[in-house]
Order: sequence, then C-alpha cells, then structure tokens
Amino acid sequence: MNDSKWTWRTVSLISIVTTIILIVGLVYAVRDIIYPVGEASGTNLPQQTAAPVTETVKKLKVVALGDSLAKGTGDNTGEGFVKRTVSGLSAKGVEVDSLGNMGINGLTTAGLQSKLDEDGIDYALHMANVILLSIGGNDLFKDSNILQNSGALQSESTTDQELTPESLLAALPEAVERLGKILEKITEINPNAQIYYMGLYNPFGDIPDLLVPGNQAVAKWNNAAMDIINKHSNMTLVPTFDLFNKHLDKYLSTDHFHPNGDGYQRIGERFIQAIH
Amino acid sequence: MNNMLPLIRNECLKIIKKKRFYVILLILIVLVPMFTYAQMRSAERSRDKFNSDWRLEIQQQIIDNQNSLGSDRIPEEWKTYRRIFVQQLQYYLHHDVNPNEPSGVTFTREFMDNSVTLFIPLLIMAVASDLVSAERTTGTIKMLLTRPVKRWKVLFSKLAALLMFVSLIVFSTFVISYLISGLAFGYKGFNIPVFTGFKISGDSVDMSTVHAVPQWKYMLMQGGLVWFVSVVVALLAFMISVLVRSTAASIVVMMAALIAGNILTNMASAWTTAKYLFMVNLGLTGYLSGTPAPIEGMSLSFSMAVLAVWGAASVIISFAVFTKRDILN
Repeated sequence: MNDSKWTWRTVSLISIVTTIILIVGLVYAVRDIIYPVGEASGTNLPQQTAAPVTETVKKLKVVALGDSLAKGTGDNTGEGFVKRTVSGLSAKGVEVDSLGNMGINGLTTAGLQSKLDEDGIDYALHMANVILLSIGGNDLFKDSNILQNSGALQSESTTDQELTPESLLAALPEAVERLGKILEKITEINPNAQIYYMGLYNPFGDIPDLLVPGNQAVAKWNNAAMDIINKHSNMTLVPTFDLFNKHLDKYLSTDHFHPNGDGYQRIGERFIQAIH
Repeated sequence: MNNMLPLIRNECLKIIKKKRFYVILLILIVLVPMFTYAQMRSAERSRDKFNSDWRLEIQQQIIDNQNSLGSDRIPEEWKTYRRIFVQQLQYYLHHDVNPNEPSGVTFTREFMDNSVTLFIPLLIMAVASDLVSAERTTGTIKMLLTRPVKRWKVLFSKLAALLMFVSLIVFSTFVISYLISGLAFGYKGFNIPVFTGFKISGDSVDMSTVHAVPQWKYMLMQGGLVWFVSVVVALLAFMISVLVRSTAASIVVMMAALIAGNILTNMASAWTTAKYLFMVNLGLTGYLSGTPAPIEGMSLSFSMAVLAVWGAASVIISFAVFTKRDILN
C-alpha cells in the first residue's frame, strides 16, 4: 500500500506538471499561429556554420547550371553530361567534387537570369571553381512546342507550326544579349571560376524541312556565343554541333530533342578535354 | 470533489498495474533508435554527397522540387505543396539558417511532426481503448458499479486518469526521443532558430509574418498542439471503449479511423467536406511548420474547433451511454 501511495504521488505530480507545461505550449502555439508577428528578418540570427574555407589544394569543384541538358534529361541512367564529366575526370586521377546540378527543365536565358539572383545559386557558384553551363536551347526552339510536349507531338507540331528560319532567328538577338549578361553575372559572382559553356547542336537535322534553318540558327547562336566567350579569359565554349550533326538517330533520346546516354557521354568527353 | 480523488487514484493505479504504460515506453525505446539510425544514415549519405555543406544540399533540394514542377504528371496540389516548400527553403537559405541542423532537438522536432497523426494517437489508444471495455471483458465492471458511487463519477475518474496519462505519454515521447537521438546527434540545439509564421495563400507564401523562434520554444508549442490532438484522440477512443464491448473491436475501430485519416489527407483535397472529419485535422503541427493544410479552407482555428467538437461530442456520448445502459454479462 505504501508503494502504491508513492506511485500515485509521483505519477499525479508529474502528470499535473507536464499537463500544465503542455497547455502553456498550446496557448503559445495558438497565439503564435493565429497572430503571428513578423520580425525584422535577419536580425539576431546566429551565424550557423561558417562557409567552408576554400582549400589550398587545387581541387576541382564543379557546379552545373542551366536547362534540361545540364540536368541530363533524356539519359536513361540519369547521369547527364555533368556526372559523366565528373566521373571521367576522377577516372583520370583529377581530384574533383560535384557541388550540385542546378539544371532545370525548360529553363530559358530569361529564367536563368532571375535564378542567378537566388541565394542558393549564388552560394553554389561562389563555392565552385568549374561551372558547366548549358542554356539557350529553349530560347531558340521553344516555339516548336517540342520541349513542352517532350516529343509526343513533335511530328505534327513541327509541320503545323512552321519552324521557319525567321521564327528561329527572331528570338536570337535578345537571347544572345541575355546570355552575355548571364556570363558576366556569373563572372561577377565568382571571378576565379572557369566557365564552360556548352554549344548548341541542331536536334532537327533529321527533318528535311528543318535541317537548313535549324543549322543556320544554331550556327548563328554558337557564333554569337563564341563572340562573347572569346572576350573573356575565364570562359570556354565546348562545341557539340559536330557530335550530333549526322548521327541524330544514334545519339538522341526518344524525344528527338535531348541526347541519350551515349550522346551525353560524347558531350562529357568534350568537357573533360576542355577542363583537363 | 473530495471523494473523487481516491477514485482517480484507483484508476491511475489500475492503468499502471496493467503495465500498459510500460509497454508504451518500451515501444518508444525500441522504435526511436530505429528512426535515429535511419536518420543518421541519410544524414551521412548527404554529407558525403555535399561535402557537409548544407547550403548546397538545400539548393539541390530546391532545384529538384522546381524540376518536378514542370512535369505534367504531378497533381496540381502536390505542385502547390512543392512551390510552398521551395519558398520556405529559399527563406532559410536567405537567412543562412540550416533547417535540418543535425541535433537531438531537431530530430525530436521532426519526429513529433511526423508522428502526430498516427504514431502518438496509436500510443494513446494503447491506454484509452480498453479502459471501459476491459472491465466488461473481465467482468469487473459489476464490482465497480455495485459500489455506492454514482456511475458518472466512476466514468469521470477513468477519464481523469486517462488524461493524466495522455500528458505523460506525450511528454515521455519527447523525452525518450530526445535522449536516444541525442546519443547520435548530440544533445545541443535548443537555441537553433526555427522559422514559423508562414502564411500560405494559394500557392505562394506570405513571408511578412515569418519570425524565428528558438527551437526549445518551438518544441514547447509543438508539444501543446500534440497534446491537444492526443486529448481528442483519447476522448474518442474512450467513447469507443464505452460503446463497444470488446477491446479488440474498440482498437480496430480507432485504428481504421486513424488510417483512413492518413489516406484521406493524401488524396482527398478535391472532396472538401472531408475537412469536417476529425482524422483529417490531426496534423496540427503542420500549421506551425508552415505545411499547407491537406484541404483548402483549413486553418488552425478551424482544425481545433473541429477536433474540439468531436472531443466534446464523444464525452457527452460516453457519459450518456455509460450512465443509462444496463450492464448485462
């Protein structure tokens, strides 16, 4: 009996105390959620972890930025040229780390411009010393609807929607201008990083009507990109046009737009040659 | 009131003697290390991938979510959820605060967030579901009711004892989860800031009311919400145990309701009247962390009101039935 007396006393005491604590918590929570008070943000927040110090050892830190090609869409293994480049480099004995792949499907130059203002992207670019960039394909080909439908409607939409040389070239000057600004902005964020820009290829080379206009538009874009890139010592253009030109069926994935695994492998090899 | 206390004390001791509470503690002691280990492994893996740089990890998470937004195969409400999630992550990045700073406290916070809709109600049921029905199964209810004590007092003493244990269970879940996960992640982290006050409207987040609270205060608030949910679940389970003769049936009924709630929250956003069901409203802590409510039109006050109505109704039904019903065996 004495035993149960003590049990009762402790249990009742603890449960009363915890009940009171929990009710206080509930009151706080209700008040906090229903009448939230914003505070001057950013004040009195302790700095969590200091940004890692950049090592003195020359280790390559790779960040990929851009559209679906950077992301690796179309590659069944999901690797894309970025992972293939990184693993190829490390197979050659280069010390290399991948800091992340910031590729987003369907990103255009305008989209990337606003992305560069984001804190996380800014931080990743700061930490990197090798930046792999792929952008522009969506600006050039977005009128063809192929990107939106992932190839499902590609044959009809291309015939319906007149992918004329004029329409391909219409968007070009502004997009090129934005590309220049993007490259400058990246340089501004991290002047010490090397930027490797992936040149475009013509995914429509197997459609007779589109071969010539597509080639012209892509060449024009690549030339314009080359013009910008040649003026900066920290940038390199990695051409891919020739990799795909006569081999679309072999190196494009089923959506007839993105490369397949082998295609990415070839792009990756180009990047390895450019970097190392 | 004076003759109430011995009754409550008696019921309390009965719960303890039945060792049900120890079973709950044992479940926690067995399960929490498993969750801790799983969490530790995933933390290790991402540390390898991102060179222990949480900013890169968060940024990659943002990109992954943004990529899935472009897919037509993803239902619109998931996209809304992800858009909101992305905005919150960006807010954390902007203020240089790691939302997943590994620590025992963070683990406990996330564990409670994840267990409020199913795991903790389950523990509550372990005590609540057989409070009355067990007396019937064993026949002891006759002994209880032949005493010169009013029936409502008997029931009330059981209810009071139950509520005491609800607090104990909620509290010990916090304590055990903190103590065990602390072994792996360290016991610090009470002062890490956590953002709360994300006002969600449609698929964007109003950041003007966002503010940082230290993690201990966040956990206190979370505890209050978990407690509220637990009390309602306890009241419901209590009612079922009054209504149903066998303990097994009473557990099954409650379990079915809870699991249905979990399924419904994942798919019922089109069926808006489902928001009046109690089991859809159990995720109160989501309002604190800024997770969008499963069904549009739900808010903290709404959910609490719904839960309170269900709880009150079950108390009324319990007493009405228990005081009127003939005890046949």
